[in-house]
Amino acid sequence: MKRLKIIWLIGISLFLLTGCWDRRETNDLWVVTGVGLDQTEDGEIEVTVEIHSPNSDGGEGMGGESSQVGGNKMIHQTGKGISIPKAIEDLDTQLPREILWSHTKAIVINKALAETGIREELDFLIRHPEPRLRSYVFISEGSAKDIMALLPPLERSSSEVLIELAKSEVLMKVTLFDLMEMLKGESDAAILPMVDKLPPEEGEQPLETNAYINQSAILKNGKMVGSIDDRLTRGVLWFRDEIKEATVTVQPENADGLISMNLIKGTTKLIPEIDGNQLKMTVQIETIDDVIQNKTNWDLNEIEKQRILEKELAEAIETRLTDTLEIVQKEMKADIIEFGEEFRRKHPEQWKGIKKDWEERFPSVEVTFDIEAKILRTGQGNVPW
Amino acid sequence: MFNRKKFKFNRNKERQIDEEVLKPLYSNLEKNTEVLNFLYEDCSDVIFRSFVIADQIKAQLVYIKGMSNIEEIDSNVLTPLMQQTDQKSVNPRLLIEQRVSVAEITKIESFDTCVEQLSVGNPILLLDGDQQGYALGLAKWEKRAIEEPSGELVVRGPREGFTESVEVNTSLLRRKIKSPQLKMKTLKVGSYTQTTIMITYIQDLSDETLIEEITQRIKRIDIDGILESGYIEELIQDNSYSPFPQVLVTERPDTAVSNLLEGRVVIVVDGTPFVLIAPTTFYSLFQSGEDYYHHFIISTATRWLRFLFLFISLLLPSLYVAVITYHQEMVPTTLLLTMVDSREAIPFPALVEALLMEITFEGLREAGLRLPKQVGAAVSIVGALVIGQAAVAAGLVSDPMVMVVALTGIASFTIPRYNIAIPFRLLRFPIMLLAGTFGLLGIMIGLLAIIIHLSTLRSFGVPYLSPMAPMKRRDLKDTLIRAPLWKLNTRPHLTGEYNKYRQSSNQKPFPEKESGEE
Repeated sequence: MKRLKIIWLIGISLFLLTGCWDRRETNDLWVVTGVGLDQTEDGEIEVTVEIHSPNSDGGEGMGGESSQVGGNKMIHQTGKGISIPKAIEDLDTQLPREILWSHTKAIVINKALAETGIREELDFLIRHPEPRLRSYVFISEGSAKDIMALLPPLERSSSEVLIELAKSEVLMKVTLFDLMEMLKGESDAAILPMVDKLPPEEGEQPLETNAYINQSAILKNGKMVGSIDDRLTRGVLWFRDEIKEATVTVQPENADGLISMNLIKGTTKLIPEIDGNQLKMTVQIETIDDVIQNKTNWDLNEIEKQRILEKELAEAIETRLTDTLEIVQKEMKADIIEFGEEFRRKHPEQWKGIKKDWEERFPSVEVTFDIEAKILRTGQGNVPW
Repeated sequence: MFNRKKFKFNRNKERQIDEEVLKPLYSNLEKNTEVLNFLYEDCSDVIFRSFVIADQIKAQLVYIKGMSNIEEIDSNVLTPLMQQTDQKSVNPRLLIEQRVSVAEITKIESFDTCVEQLSVGNPILLLDGDQQGYALGLAKWEKRAIEEPSGELVVRGPREGFTESVEVNTSLLRRKIKSPQLKMKTLKVGSYTQTTIMITYIQDLSDETLIEEITQRIKRIDIDGILESGYIEELIQDNSYSPFPQVLVTERPDTAVSNLLEGRVVIVVDGTPFVLIAPTTFYSLFQSGEDYYHHFIISTATRWLRFLFLFISLLLPSLYVAVITYHQEMVPTTLLLTMVDSREAIPFPALVEALLMEITFEGLREAGLRLPKQVGAAVSIVGALVIGQAAVAAGLVSDPMVMVVALTGIASFTIPRYNIAIPFRLLRFPIMLLAGTFGLLGIMIGLLAIIIHLSTLRSFGVPYLSPMAPMKRRDLKDTLIRAPLWKLNTRPHLTGEYNKYRQSSNQKPFPEKESGEE
């Protein structure tokens, strides 16, 4: 009985102790959904946060109005400093509430900052416990602040738009974790989606528009060296075996129009080979497509026509990939297509020797293509009217 | 028989009664009547009817008004005896055997049996010159009809439930188990109430030592009255400080019988429709008799649903509090933003908000339970306002909290047995406090404490968490899942080991081969 009393006493006094030291009520938090990193002309870093502004009249009415879609509910705040932590410190002085970084899902870095190098700045985001490694990273053509400040007509916020764009996987989708791996990997080259403002519709406010991804930024040694357009980006996606959405339009010989095909499945295998001093890479691609538009007078039910079409499709893909190589391998010399990784995996011993001068040797890798394309469905209509 | 000596009443009468009652009957009717009159002084419901048989033998009929069948007394006892006119050497004992047409006649030799028989409603016939009395089995009092048990409703299954009468209850058991192996031991507990307690078991299925242990524990009870089986439950359970019930309580004869068949012991208490089943385990408290009447896939799914809702009922408010105050990163962004919106104008911390709402809900539930039916509707209207949108509009609680409380409320009602739902409902509050002070870590501490406590519990020697801990793989067929009946071949390990197999194996039904086929 006495023991029970003692246990009770200890138990009760536990609640009197100062627990709750890291308790944070949501009323005292500002949830950051997106971050923009800019480099100003005087070399300082500018951090722009997109904060969800809590609707303070949430308790009124029947509670439904608080979640109106597309309403202006975002606050944008910018802090300046010589480094990101300094800039955030500056930001903290401006904000009356604590910042919750855990829901930051879009990180936009402006081109100027990317060109001077992002590795050191990313270190903060990776080291800090709150931001997620699953947040998406973008490079902006103009200032990241402007991208963040957009008021998209449909989505809740600008970062929401960016997240959805990345998720659609039409072009590059790179998370902080992916980027970390790319920068740490064998080749030390990275590719990031680039965003720009869509010109606003006529009659709309200048800010009422979306951001969109139109090209990809290529980074070498953590510094941006150039960009490639959407067509070549898809070429890179083919190499990286990340292609999910693709439409290929070909004009077969002897045909009087175009045929468009939609990708159902595409898999890429990179087969490295070391032949003496010559590095060779075979790119083996298997793809299955559907015909989605037939502007010719071909009857696609004929097997021969399908065979021709499949050949055309393979050729179209090959052309695209060769073009991509031309820029990426020969011009930029950035191994964003992860050839180095493949060599390391297949020939780890030789790789040790190659690695040192990989940057010089990468452009000389001989690439051969082995593309097998198949048409799965040609659709119901046989011949267009 | 009356243990009144232990009480500190020094009144002379008390002592005198104790002395008188232990004496045997006299052969003198006058003296007998005098003693009975003394015992039942000021008891106006006790009727003394004196009459004369064949103009010679004086007789006294004693009964309690409202507990005996008066018509039967008139037609089968008084009429034949009083109309007896043959005066030649009347032997009183022979007369009873010849004339009284009553099925059950018990011979009485002392005053205490006399009192006992009277109190169950049997009229007593005393004859002058006979040192024996006769208790006539003519007890009849108002009983409630057998109804559907309101606390344990089923969709499919028998609609009969136990009643307040121990005779009816045991007959319900006997009607289901025809074998004479069904044994019933009677005990009387309560110095004033003398409540009948029947220990029911199936011989060769139940452990002898278990029956012995239960009998001993009940015999040990020294109390003035037993009004409900809850008295017995509390006085015989293993760990009386635990909030968890260690005895299964049921109103349904089918549940009682199925437990008897698994080697458990059913304790029937007079005056209550709730019988006790011991020993029991944690998992059997989450089972409903209906589980065995529906298809096994459906029953298994239902059991899983119950366990899911058990966790909701125990943890949901705590999880909400922990996540919203400590682990905001765990909520999907869109949901968090909505929660932030609705919590923006709330003045209290989430913990206070949760406690406020949960306590209000428990209060409403209790109010709805006790109030007369006419007022009940008013309570539910007010209740809907208090835990509803009005509370949100008043700025006291947030929308998600209303949702959490409502879901918790529903969840706690999905547990089929009331007595196991209560401890979880109660433990919700300490866990909520832990969640509010330590976050998810606190919830884990709370859960671990509960699990440790549960694993120390035993119900009459059977570990509470068996067959999970200690693990008995054979018995898992009827815990989280309900295996098909043709697979439930063995009885539970710790209660049914004495007669392990309940049916022959390979009883899975299959279609007859057609005669033409080979």
